[in-house]
Amino acid sequence: MMTIAGLLHPRRGSIRLAGNQLVGLSPARIVAHGIALVPENRLVFPQMSVRENLLAGAYQRKDKVGIDADLERMYARFPRLNERNEQLAGTLSGGEQQMLAVARALMSRPRVLLMDEPSLGLAPLIVAEIFNIIRELNRDGTTIFLVEQNAHMALQVAHCFLLMEQGRITFRGMPGQLAEDEVIQRAYLGTRRATG
Amino acid sequence: MIDLIQNTIDGVMIGSSYGLLALGFTLIFGVMRRLDLAYGPSIMIGAYFGTVLYLYYGAGPLAVASAVVLGAVIAGIYVERLCFAPMKAGAAIASMVSSFAIWMQLEQAAILFLPRHTYPFPPLATTAPFELGPFLVRVDHLIMLVCALALAAVVHIALYRTRFGLALRAIIGNPVAAHLVGINVRAAVLLAFAVASAVGGAAGFLVLAVDQQVTPMFGMWATLKGLIAMMIGGLGSVPGAVIGGLLLGIVEANSQWYFGPQIRDLVAYVVLFAFLVVRPQGFLGCEPELAMSPRA
Amino acid sequence: MDDYLIGVLSNIGVISFVALSAYLLLLTGEISFGQQAFFAIGAYAAGIATALWGWSLAAALVWGAAVSGAAALLVGVPTLRLHGLYFAIATLAFAEMVRILFELFRYQISIDGELTGPNGTDGFRNIRYIFDHNIDAFQFLLLIYSLLAAAVLGFMLLERSRLGVVFRMIGQDETLAELQGIPVARRRVLAAVIAGTLAGIGGGLYAHLTTYVEPRTFDIMLGVHSLAYGLIGGLGTALGPLLGVLIDIGLLESIRALAGYRMIIFGGLVALLLIVRPRGLLDEMVVHKIGWGWQRVSLWVRRSSLKSTGKSA
Repeated sequence: MMTIAGLLHPRRGSIRLAGNQLVGLSPARIVAHGIALVPENRLVFPQMSVRENLLAGAYQRKDKVGIDADLERMYARFPRLNERNEQLAGTLSGGEQQMLAVARALMSRPRVLLMDEPSLGLAPLIVAEIFNIIRELNRDGTTIFLVEQNAHMALQVAHCFLLMEQGRITFRGMPGQLAEDEVIQRAYLGTRRATG
Repeated sequence: MIDLIQNTIDGVMIGSSYGLLALGFTLIFGVMRRLDLAYGPSIMIGAYFGTVLYLYYGAGPLAVASAVVLGAVIAGIYVERLCFAPMKAGAAIASMVSSFAIWMQLEQAAILFLPRHTYPFPPLATTAPFELGPFLVRVDHLIMLVCALALAAVVHIALYRTRFGLALRAIIGNPVAAHLVGINVRAAVLLAFAVASAVGGAAGFLVLAVDQQVTPMFGMWATLKGLIAMMIGGLGSVPGAVIGGLLLGIVEANSQWYFGPQIRDLVAYVVLFAFLVVRPQGFLGCEPELAMSPRA
Repeated sequence: MDDYLIGVLSNIGVISFVALSAYLLLLTGEISFGQQAFFAIGAYAAGIATALWGWSLAAALVWGAAVSGAAALLVGVPTLRLHGLYFAIATLAFAEMVRILFELFRYQISIDGELTGPNGTDGFRNIRYIFDHNIDAFQFLLLIYSLLAAAVLGFMLLERSRLGVVFRMIGQDETLAELQGIPVARRRVLAAVIAGTLAGIGGGLYAHLTTYVEPRTFDIMLGVHSLAYGLIGGLGTALGPLLGVLIDIGLLESIRALAGYRMIIFGGLVALLLIVRPRGLLDEMVVHKIGWGWQRVSLWVRRSSLKSTGKSA
């Protein structure tokens, strides 16, 4: 995920969005291409308020009216953020920080929203809430590229998925094409190799 | 008692400049998490620009001030490009030692061009000091105080009400996330350096105009004062830098009056050490985890 | 060997002690700008011992080392909670305090009708032990380098020992080290004391080498230089800081012609060097490769000597 966002450099291969090569671009330029990353571990700006974090998300935008409208939209979708509007982001709970990170990424009106392990470190109730949000966002038109260890929750919201074992993609398809148990088995325990 | 208050008044005045020096320092440290040991010397380069303008062209204080600021900014950008921008993460000490090497380079360059032990600086005011009850207030001190506080206020406003300020605070808060929201971090850091150098240049001009001279020792002096004031006031805090500067000024002025210049310096270091041991984040600074580590 | 060369080499040897001192602390993950304080304490203590109390050089050096070690203990404990920049600035503050205290320090005794001893900013003259005892410059050089060799040997042993691993662990991640059961606080204090003692030995040698010490010598410049030597020469081995000292002082002496421009050139070169080699010339990678290369060479030598003596059954 960090590689797509431009913070790390791949040794080989290419990354394309709508035909545009992204490898070698600075992170700022990648955001300009319409990619926004909700990073692993949230990474909010701890000394800035919730509102300022959201405004930071819209950093590259110049349309003040649109930004203000989106701000209201975020508060509507994430009421908890509205309540804690002026609070310092570092003092929010894990789930609230996750929502803030998602909302911040959305403020740039991305074409593709990358989400890196959003369920990490969160209580199951909060995880369910987050995945509801993911489903809603997608339904409302945002393309989402999700990296998740929680295969069960991920398969419930995904339209298609890739299974990665030991750093290699071993399956590409739609949920249902592979039994969920098998997905979990292969992801965590590896495929059984035929013995000689 | 009268002496104590008089010293405190004087201390507050000079302390305001310390605060500006600390401000520049803390801006750089905030965005880079690395110490720039060439900070004072780059201000000194600006000071030498200024003195040349004054000495050979008879320029007035405003022109000299602009020259000092311009020179400091140029030197500051040079330092940033050479010592900080090319360094990868985890090379914090390398940056610092590199800035030390450039400190020596700049100092020798200054001495080479202007080899005399002291060069003149235009005064801030020529009117006589006026009396405020039993106390004496120098007009140039007053100008210095007003300018310093005004500049600090400007920086504070810029940090909290401009887009650039938001970018800086984001970088200070979490550099990785700053990249992710589309901030051009490299450009912002360069600009932060320029601003910090400009602020330092202004502080330098004020101090030197009050002193009416600049010496080759100024570089290290400015670095040390800025550093001590920054640590006392607290890393990463604009009002902290000002408070640290004022406190340092007051402590120094009184120590010098009662015990002489050597004890004055000693007391400054003792206060600094005491703060570090008891309350490292100073008055208003962030938690100590934010500090530079060799792995930064 | 002519006197000039002996002088330069002696200088390099003595300064190497401070460089090693800063290097040791760097291994435990801490930056210190203040090792020059222990250099100063060692110098004054040893100088006082021979010039004012009539001790032997050996006893004086041990005394100097002990006093600096004790001072390091005194400073190491309150600064335990500090890391990174905070620790670095604390060491700087401490060193400057020591320097200023020496500027105020007066301890003079009348010896043979003459007032001898530290005299504040005027310094401490007439540390004439090696002249009074007819030790020539070359012999003193040998003394310096034997002690230095012992110190470097100590470092080499440290690298291979458990303590060395512990130091590096603390340097990498203190919390993790603590979780492994390492008494981090005690080890850090130990490192501080060893480093202080090292610098103290160097100081004692320095005082007798130059016969005159003054507080001005032990300023921030010396402190940052000590740190820089490790960065330039390389952090992968104890020989790195020595290389750094050699380069700096060696260059200082040889570019006499460009004296006025020396720092401009040298400063620029150091900055450029650090861009490509942020951990110095002999950094961990180079040392590793040299070690690996050495292994291959010795393996090859052994194989060919086996061949030439005929294979055993």
